[in-house]
Amino acid sequence: MYRFIRFAILLMGLMSASSSFAADAQLEPLTTADDLGPVVEQPIEFPHNRHAKDMGINCIYCHTYSRRGSVAGIPPMQKCIGCHQNIESVRETPRIKKLFEYWDAKKAIPWKKVHDLPDFVRFNHERHIKRFVFQQNRPVQEVCGACHGAVKEMTVARRQKSLAMGWCMSCHEKEHVVVAAGGMPIGTAAYWYSMKKPAIKADGTVVAKGPNDCSSCHY
Amino acid sequence: MIDNNFDRRDFLKVLGWGGAAVALTGCGNTSVQDGKETVVSYVEAAAYVAPGIATYFNSTCAQCEAGCSVMGRVREGRVLKLEGNADSVINRGKMCGLGQAGVQHHYNPDRVREPLLRNGDKGETITWEKAYELIAQKLNGVSGDNIDFMTGTISGHLKVLLSNYMDSLASKNHFVYEAISPAVQRAANLKSYGVAMPRFHINKAKVVVSFGADFLGAWVSPVHFSQQYAQFRKGVDGQRGVLVQVESKMTLTGANADRWLVVKPGTEGVLALGVINALGVAGVSLPASVAAMVKPYDKERVSQETGVSTEHLVKLAALLKERSPSLVLLGSAAEGYAHGSQNAAAINLLNQVLGNVGKTIEAAATVPFPQIAPSLGSSAALRMVSNRLADGHTKVLFTYGVNPVFTAPSDSNFAANMAKADFKVAFAHYLDETALQADLVLPLDSALEDWGTQVAEYQPDGVQISIQQPLMEKLHANTRGMGDILLALIKKNRADEYAGFEDYYAYLRTALLQNKRQFADAGVDDDVFWNDLLSAGLVNVAGTSNKLVANLASEIRLPAPVAADAKFPLRLIPSVTANLRDGRHANQPWLQESPDPLTTIVWDSWVEIHPKKAAELGIVEGDIVEVESKNGAVKAQAYLFSGIHPDAVSIPLGRGHDAMGRYAKGFGVNPFPMLERIFDDETGELAMHETLVKITKTGTRVIVVKDEGAAGGNQHGKKIAMSIASDAVDLSGEA
Amino acid sequence: MSVTNLLENWSEFRHTHPVGDVPHDPYKWAMSIDLDACTGCNACSVACYAENNLPVVGKEKYAAGHSMHWMRIERYWPVDDTASLDPAQRDFPDQGAQFLPMMCQQCEAAPCETVCPVGAANHTPDGLNSQIYNRCVGSRYCSANCPFKVRYFNWYDYPTTENVWPAEMTQQLNPDITLRSKGVMEKCTFCVQRIRAGERSVKNEGRVLKDGEVQTACQQVCPTGAITFGNLIDTESRVHLQWKAQRVELTADEQEKDKEGESELRGYRILEELRAYPSVMYMERVRESAI
Repeated sequence: MYRFIRFAILLMGLMSASSSFAADAQLEPLTTADDLGPVVEQPIEFPHNRHAKDMGINCIYCHTYSRRGSVAGIPPMQKCIGCHQNIESVRETPRIKKLFEYWDAKKAIPWKKVHDLPDFVRFNHERHIKRFVFQQNRPVQEVCGACHGAVKEMTVARRQKSLAMGWCMSCHEKEHVVVAAGGMPIGTAAYWYSMKKPAIKADGTVVAKGPNDCSSCHY
Repeated sequence: MIDNNFDRRDFLKVLGWGGAAVALTGCGNTSVQDGKETVVSYVEAAAYVAPGIATYFNSTCAQCEAGCSVMGRVREGRVLKLEGNADSVINRGKMCGLGQAGVQHHYNPDRVREPLLRNGDKGETITWEKAYELIAQKLNGVSGDNIDFMTGTISGHLKVLLSNYMDSLASKNHFVYEAISPAVQRAANLKSYGVAMPRFHINKAKVVVSFGADFLGAWVSPVHFSQQYAQFRKGVDGQRGVLVQVESKMTLTGANADRWLVVKPGTEGVLALGVINALGVAGVSLPASVAAMVKPYDKERVSQETGVSTEHLVKLAALLKERSPSLVLLGSAAEGYAHGSQNAAAINLLNQVLGNVGKTIEAAATVPFPQIAPSLGSSAALRMVSNRLADGHTKVLFTYGVNPVFTAPSDSNFAANMAKADFKVAFAHYLDETALQADLVLPLDSALEDWGTQVAEYQPDGVQISIQQPLMEKLHANTRGMGDILLALIKKNRADEYAGFEDYYAYLRTALLQNKRQFADAGVDDDVFWNDLLSAGLVNVAGTSNKLVANLASEIRLPAPVAADAKFPLRLIPSVTANLRDGRHANQPWLQESPDPLTTIVWDSWVEIHPKKAAELGIVEGDIVEVESKNGAVKAQAYLFSGIHPDAVSIPLGRGHDAMGRYAKGFGVNPFPMLERIFDDETGELAMHETLVKITKTGTRVIVVKDEGAAGGNQHGKKIAMSIASDAVDLSGEA
Repeated sequence: MSVTNLLENWSEFRHTHPVGDVPHDPYKWAMSIDLDACTGCNACSVACYAENNLPVVGKEKYAAGHSMHWMRIERYWPVDDTASLDPAQRDFPDQGAQFLPMMCQQCEAAPCETVCPVGAANHTPDGLNSQIYNRCVGSRYCSANCPFKVRYFNWYDYPTTENVWPAEMTQQLNPDITLRSKGVMEKCTFCVQRIRAGERSVKNEGRVLKDGEVQTACQQVCPTGAITFGNLIDTESRVHLQWKAQRVELTADEQEKDKEGESELRGYRILEELRAYPSVMYMERVRESAI
């Protein structure tokens, strides 16, 4: 059945010239907090707003591990220094002075975790980034913002979403329209392997769910 | 759910970068704890280092002497697991249980962490500088003749440094001691084939007859031979290989044999000559001298002496005649007698008669750099050191990689003799029995923290020089690599020559680069060559090829059967298990909890006794029995085991430590001290199977801690573990 | 749910996969073990300890049956028509021993799944019998109902038990898998963490996993290559070819070997008659008849 649908979709894609990327627009960028986490005091009060909003730096430029591994991570300090050694204007501000103190001492900054998951849950950043940013070509801030909120409005990041299982499932259990009626398939075959049980509705729309069996995340 | 006090930050003490790992484990904390933990972050990181992504580094296993190449799985700066390196001709990506437990050697909580100097019964922490000074001071004025260095098997550049150090002390007394070694066999092979350790091709043989060689468990290079064995079972031209094992106590290899032939202890040589005789009877042409020599060994006599039925003897000869090439292996069980060399000669003769030499036995390549070829251990070294100590000849004794206080027979009085030396230095990972007797204990890096090169004795293809490199930062600040220690010591004597080498790493790099042309194109850049070498973890060189010689033994003297000793009627077979060997890794809990394959016993020693003998003596499973020899006694639980000759009992080696650490101390008994000091006539090796014992019940009984499966090792007629006769199965169509 | 409903619709509640028109796709993880290659060396078992954070429980707890070896080597003495079952009654085990690596058989109609009161034991679309630790309440019904006795219960909180993981040893723990605490049932997962990592990486590349890309820890280490693990649906996978050559069917409850005149095969599943449809096929050890 599944195989048949996949094949049918490919055929439809070949025959139809019109494209419809907007068909998968179920992932709303959630920029407002509905479950605000505690205020976390960090060793340096890092201004996300300056970097992400004013400078417009891509989230993945610094949180580079997010497209390679399970965790987004904090960049090595050499990355901070790489830019800041050439930015004389803020060189003497208290935060940057502190940064260089750590750097000179070759001591890692003890950043506190803002988004902590229970130990029996596996969340993989890479897969989400690959799917939504690279395969669907969505804006990075929208994709990251779906779980992290409007970080570009914050200084020190603060948790915005509950990160509870029900909250994850609110996406994973939802039927996403993957092909609008008469539309063309989205992305590559890779996209299809991430979907469970695609189904064709009466109007020709193809819908599917994200991975939602327990052992996708719990092991 | 459940509150869990497990301190997860402890993971990271080693890292030195003050961050907590990202995906730490622990089921306890269901609540989200934002702001409680720190995130891993680096100051500077190589591009391949990313949190949550494992990196693999190649190195070499140091758990035994087989020299398997390993890949360490490293995450967030800590090594998690050892896996096999597929490029190694020795282990081809595979590992054994002992090797994998190497991580528990590294993370062991009982490792020595500081240099310790004896002060009465206590060890006082001192600095390395002071330790080096003290050694120099104690060596001052001592003649080289009075300085002994006792090590286990040693190879590579560590061996070079050690011999240079001994040279600088004007001492020739480097003794290489292995409590369990195929030393008798080496001597016999040298006589028969012209090389001590030829290559064996189990995979090319149609029949393998193994006289007590536990090549799947603990013999020479078990991971390598296991892979050969797998091919052998798949067969050459579709004909599945047949394994016949001849021994008095079933080993793991014996348990996998198609036919397990139990022989009266020590009669392996008789059986070998009997098979030659039977081959002659079956029409195989024998050289005249051999025919004459085996003439007395007709099947009736051999059957009577060995206990193997004439039917099996004839069948075995017929099989060997019919299926060629075959391979006859010679193992520790056959060697362990006063006439071990004779047994070995008889078994090698069988190979020669069968025409296996040159087919399934080939000459191994010689290491092109003799200075890094392994110095092979033997038990004869123990006798020499012990005598020198007793005579007061040895003033300063160094020990490294050996634990003679644990492995020496009690009447060699090793511990007492050792006390006679003025100054004893133990290079140690644990405070084991020997380290506790030392005046100065110097803590070593683990194999996963240290640099080195290793060359294994058994080389299956060319010569593999294996690189050992640190897989992570040092766990303890004050341990040192053996190479660094030797370099520091040698600098005390030859400062000028070694001044250029800041540390052992620098020495190793220079040494290997010097021979770059042997390993790579001369034009390769030094750094490129070195990085390639480290990333490969090994380098193969062709070596010098050799030819085997064919020396037929002209005389084999096998003892006539003797009547049982009235006072000590049974023979003790100290068994060598794949996991515990001579006991040096007994403090690794995975090995203690890994059941013995045959008895399924964990965490303890046992006395194997044949059910019929046990019935005679009124012994049942779990009875604590006392096994007594002329040289000592142990008390352990009895295990009724039909895989042993009724005239023998067996106790595994490796357990019974009274020091070393929390997982070793107090578990089981140590049969080494009760061994009688009887030696092989030709090589002077300790004849491990010559000890006679008696066995008595003590009256107490325990429940044997073992795991024979849900149904107690009984299939109750269900089809669980099934077998099929070879003539009833068609293997040709298998995938 | 009424008992009538349960009995009437029993086959649906058996959770047999594949169910109806939802076949396993694109994966069905399965294994085959060649007992003629297995030497009983225990390397697989140690690999499992290393990979899956299994606690070393110590002698006392082992004696109480609390050992946690997901992969255990069972040792039997050979059974044939002429020999007695009890080795003690025979002179010598002259045909050697019989070793059997035993771990969760990942049954397709798993007896453990139907009895779990909280649904912690359930089936995944790729044919694994998954154990969800955070849902488990420790009723141990699953263990009682497991015919293979391969489920292990955490009687203690091993992470805090003395000498199980002293401070240094915690650094060896695999962060890719949960460290289970007291009151939780656990078992072999076919190294689900490796499967999930593999699946994720090929999803990014837009393809399915190829044979050999995911190896279980036991398979990877086995010196004789006795263990084959892979995707049964992939017609080129070694495990598929082995099952096919032995004519063992995942969804059959009587295999060709059991039928008259088919004895030249050696593939079988343990306790086939229970209709649990295990995902592990064993191949009989061969014994030479000429000696």
